[in-house]
Amino acid sequence: MPSIPYFSVGYAPRTVHAVFSELTFEQKVMSHTITIITNDQQSIQFECDDKQNIQDAAEAAGHFPPAICKSGGCGSCMAHCESGDYQLADYSAGILPENPEETQSILLCRTFPQGDLVINAPYAADKIQTHQPGAREATIVELEVLAERTVKLSLQLIADEENGLSFAFEPGQFVELEIPELNLKRAYSLANTPNWEGKLEFLIRLQENGVFSNYLKHHAKTGDNIKVHGPAGTFTLQEQSINPLCFVSGGTGLAPFMSILRRMEEWGEDHPVQLFLGVNNEQEIFCHQELKDLQDKLPQLNVNICVWQASENWSDYHGTPVDALAQYLQQTQIQPDIYLCGPPPLVESATQVAIQHGVDADKIYCERFA
Amino acid sequence: MFCYQCEQTTRSQDGDGCQTAKGICGKDTTTSDLQDLLAYAIKGIAQYATRARQLGKTDPEADAFILYGLFTTLTNVNFNAARFTTLIHEAVAIREQMKELYHTAAGERGAAIEELSGSACFVPAKNHDELLQQANLSAILKDRDTQGDSIVGLRAMMLYGVKGVAAYAYHAHVLGYDSEEVFERLEKALDFLAEEPNDLNELLTANLEVGAINLKVMEQLDAANTGNFGAQEPAKARISPLKGKAILISGHDMKDLHELLEQTKDTGINVYTHGELLPAHGYPKLREYPHLAGNYGGAWQNQIEDFAAFPGPILMTSNCLIEPAPAYRQRIFTAGPVGWKGVRHIENHDYAPLIQAAKALPGFKEDAEEKTVTVGFGRHAVLSVADKVIDAVKTGAISHFFLIGGCDGAAPGRNYYSDFAEMTPDDSVILTLGCGKFRFYDQDFGNIGGIPRLLDIGQCNDAYSAIQIASALADAFDCDVNQLPLSLMISWFEQKAVAVLLSLLSLGIKGIHLGPTLPAFLTPEVLAILVEKFDIKANGDPAEDLAAEMAA
Repeated sequence: MPSIPYFSVGYAPRTVHAVFSELTFEQKVMSHTITIITNDQQSIQFECDDKQNIQDAAEAAGHFPPAICKSGGCGSCMAHCESGDYQLADYSAGILPENPEETQSILLCRTFPQGDLVINAPYAADKIQTHQPGAREATIVELEVLAERTVKLSLQLIADEENGLSFAFEPGQFVELEIPELNLKRAYSLANTPNWEGKLEFLIRLQENGVFSNYLKHHAKTGDNIKVHGPAGTFTLQEQSINPLCFVSGGTGLAPFMSILRRMEEWGEDHPVQLFLGVNNEQEIFCHQELKDLQDKLPQLNVNICVWQASENWSDYHGTPVDALAQYLQQTQIQPDIYLCGPPPLVESATQVAIQHGVDADKIYCERFA
Repeated sequence: MFCYQCEQTTRSQDGDGCQTAKGICGKDTTTSDLQDLLAYAIKGIAQYATRARQLGKTDPEADAFILYGLFTTLTNVNFNAARFTTLIHEAVAIREQMKELYHTAAGERGAAIEELSGSACFVPAKNHDELLQQANLSAILKDRDTQGDSIVGLRAMMLYGVKGVAAYAYHAHVLGYDSEEVFERLEKALDFLAEEPNDLNELLTANLEVGAINLKVMEQLDAANTGNFGAQEPAKARISPLKGKAILISGHDMKDLHELLEQTKDTGINVYTHGELLPAHGYPKLREYPHLAGNYGGAWQNQIEDFAAFPGPILMTSNCLIEPAPAYRQRIFTAGPVGWKGVRHIENHDYAPLIQAAKALPGFKEDAEEKTVTVGFGRHAVLSVADKVIDAVKTGAISHFFLIGGCDGAAPGRNYYSDFAEMTPDDSVILTLGCGKFRFYDQDFGNIGGIPRLLDIGQCNDAYSAIQIASALADAFDCDVNQLPLSLMISWFEQKAVAVLLSLLSLGIKGIHLGPTLPAFLTPEVLAILVEKFDIKANGDPAEDLAAEMAA
């Protein structure tokens, strides 16, 4: 465990404390010890004052727990407070359970300590970076329309001296794409596998009034440069689990699962997987052929494309992926690990369904669209 | 989880052994329990294989699986829980094949069929939770209350020795060297363990038999290495990097190294050995590859720093792997029995992804100042100057030999060996083997009449070479090995070292110093017997131990 100086986090140093010791300095800047215990029983410790959120304090102390928006909007810094008092500032509805105090669910970026805290993080210690990798430059090599409102963005990294063309990430992680001239930055999951050619691939849903969507629709062209920050995120496979896997995706929530499945195919892994991909109608289906190819190569993979407003000709699942999940859990004999990725309402309802069917809450892993 | 198979196992007043969520080595409860269960299932294969063999029937697939399966359960080899569920089911499928083979052979010969129990009847649960509950069948401590710690410890020592034997035999197997005699004796040893023996003397004898099997296996591996790559010759190995793209290969497996050198020929990529592959630089046919550029880094326990700093991909071919740090997790690959979930495993020596990674990664930007060490003093090299060595002993130029051999590790107490080496008198010769040497391998110890004072015999399995050298000296002086001016300072860490220790004991070699700490599975009762029979000594103060050895 790293040793963190007592006043390391944005405070006056000890000498100042001595000078003002007569002046109830403690009341002005209360510093609290924060201990984050990861799910592999490692821990980090740092100081945080009651006017600073835990994410900022951790970063100031040189620890970078996973976080995307850092403003209570994405849920990527969700954790549980085991002990201690804190205040939870505003956050987006649906990110935490309805009464978060009951489960002591917190967002590191919205939590202000009122005393020493012990926090359980739902990821392993290696997900807490000790430095933030610098931004990489990449070039757009392809922008392909896959289906109604869905595009595939392919980038080619530019080799740099430190890394060459390598870009280490784990399937399931995301990066932030930045268009500096438009002051625009958005997080997207990688859909391809780690490779040594500097290739990055993303599945992106074009939102009606989305700023990045507008950029892709109207401005982006092959040869343009994009900055890539990261990788980051903890939505990766739980390495030591031997349970079957169940992936539930809404729309382009498929991206992290494509990365995971493609790697399973590359590595010849034989872990059983059920994938549900939810779309509104048949026109929105994408990656259909690739999923079929993956099924051919991974006999243990079962894919169901769930179409909510399906035509009569649709032969696969009619309904939402949450309905499909409920049916699957009713029939399955071995409880799977469940991975959910998509819009927050889908993630919330799928979580409820899983819990209703007896799946342990700590076997449900979520990534919500921010 | 309960595991005390390695030297670094948790020691506490409440009892030794790792029994928390994660062992000191980094293996979690699930993996540990599944490894025990795999060893249990493999005993079942051996029960039938032994009986089928007595009736003249063998199955090379089963023999090879026993080696591979047991190797995966060594310390710092495979941490992938999912892999073990697959292996357990494979083991049971192979056991059923062996059962059929035995029954068929018995039918053909008109022999009575023995009804076997225990491992032979194990049916693994399909549900993972239930499978983990079955780990009780194979728990190391399961008979502790009825049989006591000594019996449990002797069974454990024997199993660990068998694991070490299997690992060495696997290295020889992949180089095309198998021995039916070894398979027969190894399977018999497993069959004996499957019967859950509880007689202390029988267990002691069986442990020494494991040591004797290991002698045969080390001989076989020596033949495999020299047969494929020529006899080791003294040679300089560069230990500082050269400019250019680079691959690092660690572990023990010479076959993997050879294949990698073949596949990287003319690619401009330099191949560096790491840890226990340093002795590769002594083998003529491996030295023929000009891109075998040198050795990088130290012993296994420094791999996090070494691998993070290495500017290319890394291939881990056998023990000892520790949890890959995020800094290099994407560029480390495993091969053979090794595994870590989320780390790419290379099958069938197809190193294309590794080579692709080496091309993409930056490599070394410049040549470092040249530094070298000399390796390659295997039995052929040493015995080729035997006359000179014998003369030096006779004239008093060489007063003593110290074999400082075995594993390195992270424990602070392991500086005993470097302290000891540095204190040895100038008229003594130090023989090294295994990765313990990395604590002092690059120091200049000088020479005695042209014979270097520091002679590296090779990998830990080259204990065979050391035994040959000692035997030849004993012959020359017409004495017993125990009467030679030779001290054995053995550092152990994992199960290969347990096998080597048992080999030395099976030869009747006495007075071995074993450290840095004694195995947790040796109870005071068993230790007292070993001390009485073999005069085994625990490490004390290096200066005092040295003085005692010189006076002996």
